[in-house]
Amino acid sequence: MLELRLVQGSLLKKVLESIRELVTDANFDCSATGFSLQAMDSSHVALVALLLRSEGFEHYRCDRNLSMGMNLNNVSKMLRCAGNDDIITVKADDGSDTVTFMFESPNQDKIADFEMKLMDIDSEHLGIPDAEYQAIVRMPSSEFARICKDLSSIGDTVIISVTKEGVKFSTAGDIGTANIVCRQNKTVDKPEEATIIEMQEPVSLTFALRYLNSFTKATPLSETVAISLSSDLPVVVEYKIAEMGYIRFYLAPKIEEDDDMKP
Amino acid sequence: MLLLRAPFLLSLKFPPLRPCFPSLPFSNPWSRNLFLRCCSTGRAAMSGRRTVADVLMGNARAAAAAAAKSKKSAPSSAQPEQPSPSPSKKPKTLDGGGQNPKDPPEEKNPTLDLKKKCSDFNPKKAASWKDGEPVPFLFLARALELISNESGRIAITEIICNVFRTVIATTPGDLLATVYLSANRIAAPHEGIELGIGDASLVKALAEAYGRKEEQVKKQLKELGDLGLVAKASRSSQKVMFKPQPLTIAKVFDTFRAIAKESGKDSQDKKRNHIKGLLVAATECEPQYLVRLLQSKMRIGLAEKTVLVALGQAAIYSETNQNPRSQTQSDLEEAAKIIKQVYSVLPIYDKIVPELLHVGVWKLPEACNFSLGVPVGPMLAKPTKAVSEILDKFQGMEFTCEYKYDGERAQIHYMEDGSVEIYSRNAERNTGKYPDVVGSVSRFKKPAVKSFVLDCEIVAYDREKQRILPFQILSTRARKGVILSDIKVAVCTFAFDILYVNGQPLLQEQLKVRREHLYGSFEEVPGVFQFATAITSDDLEEIQKFLDTAVNTSCEGLIIKTLDKDATYEPSKRSNNWLKLKKDYMESIGDSLDLVPIAAFHGRGKRTGVYGSFLLACYDEHNEEYQSICNIGTGFSESQLEERSTSLRNKIIPKPKPYYRFSDTMDPDVWFEPSEVWEVKAADLSISPVHRAANGIVDPNKGISLRFPRLLHVRDDKSPEEATTSEQVAEMYRAQKINHTNNQDEDDDD
Repeated sequence: MLELRLVQGSLLKKVLESIRELVTDANFDCSATGFSLQAMDSSHVALVALLLRSEGFEHYRCDRNLSMGMNLNNVSKMLRCAGNDDIITVKADDGSDTVTFMFESPNQDKIADFEMKLMDIDSEHLGIPDAEYQAIVRMPSSEFARICKDLSSIGDTVIISVTKEGVKFSTAGDIGTANIVCRQNKTVDKPEEATIIEMQEPVSLTFALRYLNSFTKATPLSETVAISLSSDLPVVVEYKIAEMGYIRFYLAPKIEEDDDMKP
Repeated sequence: MLLLRAPFLLSLKFPPLRPCFPSLPFSNPWSRNLFLRCCSTGRAAMSGRRTVADVLMGNARAAAAAAAKSKKSAPSSAQPEQPSPSPSKKPKTLDGGGQNPKDPPEEKNPTLDLKKKCSDFNPKKAASWKDGEPVPFLFLARALELISNESGRIAITEIICNVFRTVIATTPGDLLATVYLSANRIAAPHEGIELGIGDASLVKALAEAYGRKEEQVKKQLKELGDLGLVAKASRSSQKVMFKPQPLTIAKVFDTFRAIAKESGKDSQDKKRNHIKGLLVAATECEPQYLVRLLQSKMRIGLAEKTVLVALGQAAIYSETNQNPRSQTQSDLEEAAKIIKQVYSVLPIYDKIVPELLHVGVWKLPEACNFSLGVPVGPMLAKPTKAVSEILDKFQGMEFTCEYKYDGERAQIHYMEDGSVEIYSRNAERNTGKYPDVVGSVSRFKKPAVKSFVLDCEIVAYDREKQRILPFQILSTRARKGVILSDIKVAVCTFAFDILYVNGQPLLQEQLKVRREHLYGSFEEVPGVFQFATAITSDDLEEIQKFLDTAVNTSCEGLIIKTLDKDATYEPSKRSNNWLKLKKDYMESIGDSLDLVPIAAFHGRGKRTGVYGSFLLACYDEHNEEYQSICNIGTGFSESQLEERSTSLRNKIIPKPKPYYRFSDTMDPDVWFEPSEVWEVKAADLSISPVHRAANGIVDPNKGISLRFPRLLHVRDDKSPEEATTSEQVAEMYRAQKINHTNNQDEDDDD
């Protein structure tokens, strides 16, 4: 028996919107500690890891560990039927091949039940080692989204380089080149507007913008984003979900001396 | 799994203190530990093998490439800790670069063993996987790579034979998939199962799988000329998060079948996802051969015949494993013959391969028999040049001459339940193309006949004038899904052989007996079903006359067959007992033409870097213009093609001259200055909607084109203006005995 009640139903909607472009099918894993998902995109270049801790739910009951395979587009279709203020409850019985989404309007005058078929997804759990990164950049998530969007209109890869001065995003394309530098800036009114760079060593990596752009779909989930970089390791783009957990995107870098991109 | 994931999640919350160094996580005990935990979950063993070290840069390709390029980090230093992702992994060659450092470096690449003579080859040694484990696709891909560097058929046969032997010796269950992939098939031809993937789809899949742009892929395709090479070159530009499981032959083959099965809405997307899944997991030379297999264009000189021969030999070697040297050459040849024979009667690997493993080669013909509903390869005829040659060859034997109709070969199967299937020359299901033939079966078969297999030629037919129409008319029919009421081109079925009747195979009977069955089981329906016109004679004059009549009634020529000696039906064999005498083999027809190359298409595959085909034109003296007449791509030796391409490259002009006449649909890659004259021979001339030669002279709107043109040589002594003129082309066309139009009766009279 599984029953999760989430008062801010919109949060679940946002979560789905942020990952469904990257991954089509995925297993949602429920345990006593929380609700999680880990999936790779079809080309094995990017990985998404989601965690919603049990404490963040109004009601959380999970008697037995459960792995539910879902087509994310279908989940998204169902969740789009929920109002933004609705309370969402996810229910599943042990051994059942369906999951139920229940939407309650805030004043309890409307209750909707959506039942969805689960699917068998052959996925593997991959242990992700916790690495220390050479550089971590924290910045407003909207700013990061803007940069990725702007650069992708010029080139298809971005070089992210972190130095003492700040973080530089550069790209090159047929029409020209672009460089955006964000300097460290802690003197702001609101802490979420700050750009903070923690750097042990300068680092510079190249990534496909297509994936970064798809990561920024998670922007509505969090005001800030943390980008962790180390040479030859995947970049981690993390959006914290307030009081609940996080959504983390991992992206393998491109090999730099590539004829294709000539930055 | 979740329980076990918990420690991982926890550890994320409370990161353990540990020095910060990027490559350390792989070697530190914590991650090893995590790996072990993952393993012990008892989830699918496959996933259990996944290692943390595979994670994050564990990708060896990337690491190898990165290490080769920049020496700033040494990701491979961490790898000795990495347990082999799969025991089936083979040791790497040098270019694979330390993907699997656990394997002793001194061990040589076992695929090199494949090049050994069959008699010296030890299949157990060549296998890098344990008995019973799935055969890695890399093993086959490497073998294909070896084959592509060989040109001798014997060497190729030996390599593929060694591949089969290795598979038989270790994981015989994978033999079927291996044979299918080697033959570049996914199912028996008559099942009509196709991958249904265009190059555009592959380009898209390549772009998506390797994080490139479609334009880049296309550009590179133009440079390299082969998608397989593009795939190989694309491999390294994007690292991956986790190295996927190595591909196995079974997995590749199953995915191919899954691709073929996808249909309906979004099927192209689904197919592409399957392909991406394979491409992502492919390493080394795998992408190249994956793509070529998907294109169904191997182009490495591995013909299906060779696969069959190798399969037979492999079976022989495997049967007496102990002493491979004891195999005599004649045994091997015999085995190859048996397999070829069995395949021609029952072209279904799904049946042959398991039986082969089960009963062995010698008993295979008993286990795999002709069966109704499965097309056998049609028997073929050898060309001859003159009637006298036939008399020489068939001296003292009784033989018969039949018209050789210019239509489509068809094998009609009539099942006991009354259903009908029609198969083409290549054993493809053609039933959908000829619903009229299907419908007429009940009209021409005698009631006592419950089942049969007929060998016949379907020919376009004008029922009003009761005459045979040329092949071009037949080819205007839709390929499949023809609806009975929409048929504009009527056809007549000319039956000349019967292979099976009322449950009794006739393949082993002499032609004389088969003919009796044929004539006894069917009735002619004029214009719908007729027996092939035949005479039995050994008089040279008579045969010559018969040939002339055949040609005059729009047939291609004659087929001459022995009647009661060596006259069994030999499926898919170009037998000496069937000879064909075609008009274009005869000296009297087919003067050569002198034509001017005015444009060309870039070559692909083998012809990358040179032109693949040229657009030829004749010269119209009256209008002083060059009129396109045909595309030519045959008759060139490699060096000739190279020479012509080089010399014409200097004559490239940015756009066609105003005095070039060609169809708007013609879109060559480059245009040339009129500069050379080539002597070209062709089978015959026909009216063409595409080409413009002699436009307006013979047909008001259509030109004339050449059928099957081939280059004889370059005429250095002629200038382009001295090329064959449109007037001459028109004359040659008129002089032809058969004209490929249906409305010019007057021409037939002269």
